[in-house]
Amino acid sequence: MKKQESENAIEVKNVYKKFKLFYDKPNTLKERLVFWNKSKVDYHEVLKNINLNIKKGETVALIGVNGSGKSTLLKLMTKIIYPTTGEIKTYGKLTSLLELGAGFHPDFTGRENIYFNASIFGLSAREIDARVQDIIDFSELGEYIDTPVRTYSSGMYMRLAFSVAINVDAEILLIDEILAVGDQHFQEKCFSKLQELKKSDKTIVIVSHSLDSIKKLCDRAVWIYQGEVRMDGKADKVIDEYLKVCG
Amino acid sequence: MLQELYNYRQLLKSNVKKEIRGKYKGSFLGVIWSFVNPLLQVLVYAIVFPFIMKNTQENYVVFLIVGILPWTWFVTSISQGTSCILANQGIIKKVYFPRTILPISVVTSGLINFLISCIIIFLFLLISGVGFSIYIVFLPLVILIQYIFSLGVLFITSAIDVYIRDAEYIINFLINMLFYATPILYSPDIFAESPISLLIKANPLAIIITGYRDALFYQTMPNLSSLFIAFLGSLILLFIGIKVFKKLERGFAEEV
Repeated sequence: MKKQESENAIEVKNVYKKFKLFYDKPNTLKERLVFWNKSKVDYHEVLKNINLNIKKGETVALIGVNGSGKSTLLKLMTKIIYPTTGEIKTYGKLTSLLELGAGFHPDFTGRENIYFNASIFGLSAREIDARVQDIIDFSELGEYIDTPVRTYSSGMYMRLAFSVAINVDAEILLIDEILAVGDQHFQEKCFSKLQELKKSDKTIVIVSHSLDSIKKLCDRAVWIYQGEVRMDGKADKVIDEYLKVCG
Repeated sequence: MLQELYNYRQLLKSNVKKEIRGKYKGSFLGVIWSFVNPLLQVLVYAIVFPFIMKNTQENYVVFLIVGILPWTWFVTSISQGTSCILANQGIIKKVYFPRTILPISVVTSGLINFLISCIIIFLFLLISGVGFSIYIVFLPLVILIQYIFSLGVLFITSAIDVYIRDAEYIINFLINMLFYATPILYSPDIFAESPISLLIKANPLAIIITGYRDALFYQTMPNLSSLFIAFLGSLILLFIGIKVFKKLERGFAEEV
């Protein structure tokens, strides 16, 4: 039993997540005092009784239509938000790519931003020093790396952000809809990097709508429908079923 | 929690740097303002107060500087730090990192500013002829107490500010009151006979400021028992602060 548990990278147990829906969100003291029992609060249940175990080394895709709760589940795994009830456990160093370039400072150069961004992911200065060349090479920014990020095109910005996140060397990688970064060439590069990470036994969880890439990359897919797990199994089977119903 | 903070030490470091560099960005004198500002404040009080109050304090300018520079550290930490969670909502919604880093880097960058401005204090002590004494060894202790105390307060105020945005304004008002309730412009001796002295004794910042004055200005043995009480009280406050912060941080990403 004990061994079983240590093989899991992510354990999701009976997780429910409700969001408060305010029509008028009281943000100030006056509003809180005046409307303290008048403000209408509705709860929107985004996730209902999710149970999911993801094993170490697995590459799992979360699929589903917009608003089905995939991204919320991913945010719960990162510990940006917390479940209303239930619990989520993760084992190992975790990096999430929910939005590329979160925390980039426009006035700092690309190189300075590598340091700042990687430190948000919990790397020490020495660890960043060791990776900085890999990151720059992967981003293919060349001489632009020492110019301020505000001068970058959006594609360059994304390339830099992706390069940092992918070189952090986390054991668990959570990715939200970012396979479509940069031009064709860079996309292919990202894709092969992900395949390389997969081979090196990293655990990867991807939320994506590009079903073809998922089929190629993931062994397992979980279909989330209206906050519940509708189907869980081999990637091609789940995707075929998903396309039958939603396509 | 300490283990996690250690893992994220690089983030703490770069955040402190950003905090120090970013504040006066775009102004001509840059970081120098963080030292010029309190000195200008000293100048104002040094000119105005001897007029409106019968002032018998010797070396009033040095007396003021020893009180105002630590106070500036406290005030900038709390009044600007209270909104530190809101100010960083961009990354809070997108990335996980120990949220405690944010208030810690505010107080720490304040500490570094203060340590540098200690040079100004020392210069004034030298020039005015007050000089130094062995009691300067108590300076690090007083600094430590103030660091713990500020951190404890900031953990609570910054977490509450996410839920109730008024907190900033209320806290600014309270700090304004506290400025006059703390013996910065005056010596606590002038209230020796009145019940106000009890109020001053109960004010942890009064103990801290008096600690600085004893170690640097009066050059006597600081009142160790009251410093010890302040130290203990600050530790308890820090403990409560961490508890409150940890409880409230679960909702940060949804509330900001």
